Amino acid sequence: MITHKEFDFTTVLSTILLVTIGIVMVYSAAFYHQSLLIKAVWIKQSYYAIVGTVILLIIVYLPRKILHNLSYPLYIISIIGLAAVLLWGTGEDAQRWLRIGPIQIQPSEFSKITMLLVIARHLAGCSKENVNSIRGASRSFGIAILPMALIIQQPDLGTALSFTAPLLPMLYWAGMRKVYLFLLISPLLSVICSFEPLWLNLTSYIFALFIVTSSFIIHLSLRNSIFTSCAIFINLTAGLATVYLWDHFLRPYQKGRIMTFLDPESDRLGAGWNIIQSKIAIGSGGFLGKGFLGGTQTKYEFLPAAHTDFVFSVIGEELGYVGALFIIIIFFVLIVRTLQIGQLAKNRFHSLIAIGIASILTFHVFVNIGMTIGVMPVTGLPLPFISAGGSSLFANIVIIGLLLHIFANRHEY
Amino acid sequence: MTSYYSNVPPQDQRPSLIGMIVCIGLLFIILLIRLFHLQINTFDNYARESEENRITQKRVKAARGLILDRNSRVLVRNRPFYTVYLAKTTETNYNRIRDAFIVATGDSSIDGRYYDKLRNIRLKRDVDFRTVSIVEEQLRLQWPMLSIETEAQRYYPFGNSAAHLLGYMGLYESDNNENYILGDFIGKTGLEKLHENTLRGFDGVRYFEIDASGHVRREFPQRLQAPQPGKDLQLTIDVELQQEIEHAFPDSLAGAVVVLDVRSGAILAMVNHPNFDPNIFVSFQSQDDRVKVLNSETTLLNRAIRGRYPPGSTLKMIGAIAALESGVTDTLSTFAACVGSLQVGDVTFRCNLRNGHGELSLISAIETSCNNYFQHLAQLISIEEWEMWANKFGIGQPTGFQFTPKEAEGLLPSRSYYQQNGGWTIGHLLNMIIGQGAILVTPLQMAKFVAALANGGYMVTPHLNGPTPPSNYIEDLSPHTLGIIQQAMLRVVSGEKGTGKRAAVENISVAGKTGTAQVPNRINQNSDAWFVGFSPFDNPEIAVVVVVEGGGGGGNVAAPIAQKAFAEYHRINDRFTMSR
Repeated sequence: MITHKEFDFTTVLSTILLVTIGIVMVYSAAFYHQSLLIKAVWIKQSYYAIVGTVILLIIVYLPRKILHNLSYPLYIISIIGLAAVLLWGTGEDAQRWLRIGPIQIQPSEFSKITMLLVIARHLAGCSKENVNSIRGASRSFGIAILPMALIIQQPDLGTALSFTAPLLPMLYWAGMRKVYLFLLISPLLSVICSFEPLWLNLTSYIFALFIVTSSFIIHLSLRNSIFTSCAIFINLTAGLATVYLWDHFLRPYQKGRIMTFLDPESDRLGAGWNIIQSKIAIGSGGFLGKGFLGGTQTKYEFLPAAHTDFVFSVIGEELGYVGALFIIIIFFVLIVRTLQIGQLAKNRFHSLIAIGIASILTFHVFVNIGMTIGVMPVTGLPLPFISAGGSSLFANIVIIGLLLHIFANRHEY
Repeated sequence: MTSYYSNVPPQDQRPSLIGMIVCIGLLFIILLIRLFHLQINTFDNYARESEENRITQKRVKAARGLILDRNSRVLVRNRPFYTVYLAKTTETNYNRIRDAFIVATGDSSIDGRYYDKLRNIRLKRDVDFRTVSIVEEQLRLQWPMLSIETEAQRYYPFGNSAAHLLGYMGLYESDNNENYILGDFIGKTGLEKLHENTLRGFDGVRYFEIDASGHVRREFPQRLQAPQPGKDLQLTIDVELQQEIEHAFPDSLAGAVVVLDVRSGAILAMVNHPNFDPNIFVSFQSQDDRVKVLNSETTLLNRAIRGRYPPGSTLKMIGAIAALESGVTDTLSTFAACVGSLQVGDVTFRCNLRNGHGELSLISAIETSCNNYFQHLAQLISIEEWEMWANKFGIGQPTGFQFTPKEAEGLLPSRSYYQQNGGWTIGHLLNMIIGQGAILVTPLQMAKFVAALANGGYMVTPHLNGPTPPSNYIEDLSPHTLGIIQQAMLRVVSGEKGTGKRAAVENISVAGKTGTAQVPNRINQNSDAWFVGFSPFDNPEIAVVVVVEGGGGGGNVAAPIAQKAFAEYHRINDRFTMSR
């Protein structure tokens, strides 16, 4: 059997760097915390990293067909897990964790991986024509929507949205036409263009402009009146529904997060607190930072969730622009390397998984860091490898395991 | 090679990677630009905000200066008390904490309202130990932004004594003085107001590092700006004398007593009746008492410097001096005998003795306070001459006493005053020479006047503290004249027919003059009782002025109060001399 496996140096090194920096920064972020349990979180984090590494090695050495064959069973197990969270889950303001004996797991982190596998398997079996057909594309969406729907119920909108991240890149990779991709994201753009808090008085003009421009693009590319009218109808519906949903569907805390993202000062001591304090932390870090364990925003607990969601703010405060730049470069290197592995892998299923992994990583990194510096709204998405959280770190190490598995088998069809 | 797929692998035509890498690169560049903006471009702003976040300033109130009497007895000191403070918080939190506080203490009267500009809200001031322990042991666990701080408040250990002099404190209300914040107390009247700037001192600042919930984590002792305590104010007042005179003053009557050191002008006692307790103005409980006092002008009036009274016969010395200096009379010559009334034109002037005093010399006229004698004199001197001497002795003029509220001027009417107010007749001078008519004086003016008579003609400046202000010698006043006046005043107290016998003190020589002033516009009421005097006769030390509104005869009502003042002054003085 297989006795020797080739490891990708870039992936391994950047992962080790990120996990190590993560543990160190979690240690710093929780160093002055009053709760001993939270102070010791870095130990827990190291423990998860070690256990994760064992699983990673197992995944790398898995026989190559097993991933393909187990993708649906794993997907079903994760869906059951998500359903179980809704029934027996725990958590403070949302049910996110499932307690099994002494350990708590977050099934949403793992269902991300299984969804990836299933979509990759589905698209790998599709011809280019299939991918560009409504049936082929909608099935990919269906695979993603099932876990998303369950996660929204928890409720955890941020994580649910992250499930959409790999869809378009994977469809693109599988051969979908660009105009169809545009068609797919145009309802989303239409939601953004009709979102009144964003554009205020200009909303109606911007929305109208978008409808006209998008219809032109679609019509000129496809020359199909039926398609064009469908697109107009869907975009209009999406835009108008936004107005209605904003008023009737979103929970107050979700509205609050979006509103304070647009104007943190509007609620300085309430919902805007996180964003303002995070920006102060990062901004006051300056070029070289305040030094390890020297972040006063962290130390005096102005920064909420410093060791979890806002760990990047601690990095920005204590390590400065240099530290933040370093982390972002490592992420960029890892993501580009993931795409290259996708390119290298001869197997279409493997190749699609790698693209999915790169998209998920990009989405998490951008949304999380963006949130800490005020370019994205506050969502509960962790920073991969760095934020404290067993399930998240574990799932991300498993993802790297998959990537190394793909790299090791890159020459196989 | 074959694939392990069950179905036939589709032709795998992959798009180029470049597009995706560029997209991801763009996203990351957005992050880097934004980070650059925060950490490099606007670093200064955020560094400052971070400092402001964690470092809080706490004002350290400077201890207000004490007010001491001449023997360093403390008239005003500072009393520590506890205040429940609430650190800056949201309005919702404020409401919750306030309700929790009311439930826990059962006290629904809250001092501090929510005001978003205030860093600290004084939830409740001057709380007892029970409330302190409730806050520390129960409420602070849930609301760490609550704290107990010690504050200091004025305390007046002698209560009502010398209240008009000391003044009172009140809440600072305006918004434009950087030395005060809302909730501070500031001197509102009297010495507390007059010396506010030196008594106050300069507040210090302490710097603390606080965490997000307002807990103090660390102090920066090296950045401490220590408060400079206010300067103590030592007065010329003798609180023992002050209190003795206050006790001697009839409870039911209004009036004032001034005791002046004739050599320096230092005020030894200044009694006002009715008075008030300045403690009620700094209490956080007694709202009703405060309102009652504030609404009563008669209680707040500092009669000694702001009461305007006709001086009655106590002014006769002016007429006597004017007559002596102009050579109209001398000590021995007598005028037409006093028959109890004097007809001038169609007006009849009654003397205070209905059957008349008979033939009188100047000295015995002062001794018996004969009105008709002086009205005879008035017909021989001019108003200008009389007024010149009244002016020289400061009648109807400010004494130069620095105080707030300012002393009243009184009124010394001249010929032109009467010409403008109904016309001049000699009758006006006949009235004025016995201290009646339109003339108005303050007790302090009279004290200055008497002091000049006692000290050989020096006009001193009444004062309460500090170095002795210069005094002026009255020009053209002959020592001979002054000697006659002093002799006459001695006879008032010690003479057989003296009207001021009740001011006499055993073993001490007292000179003085009584007055019973009819007050126009105060119908059906007794006259104001006056006594002015000095002691000891040979080497005068103090001048005493007593006025009792509606007290009746000066010799009966005012003189005994003056007697008490002289007696107590000498008793206290002897004790001090002996102890030294």
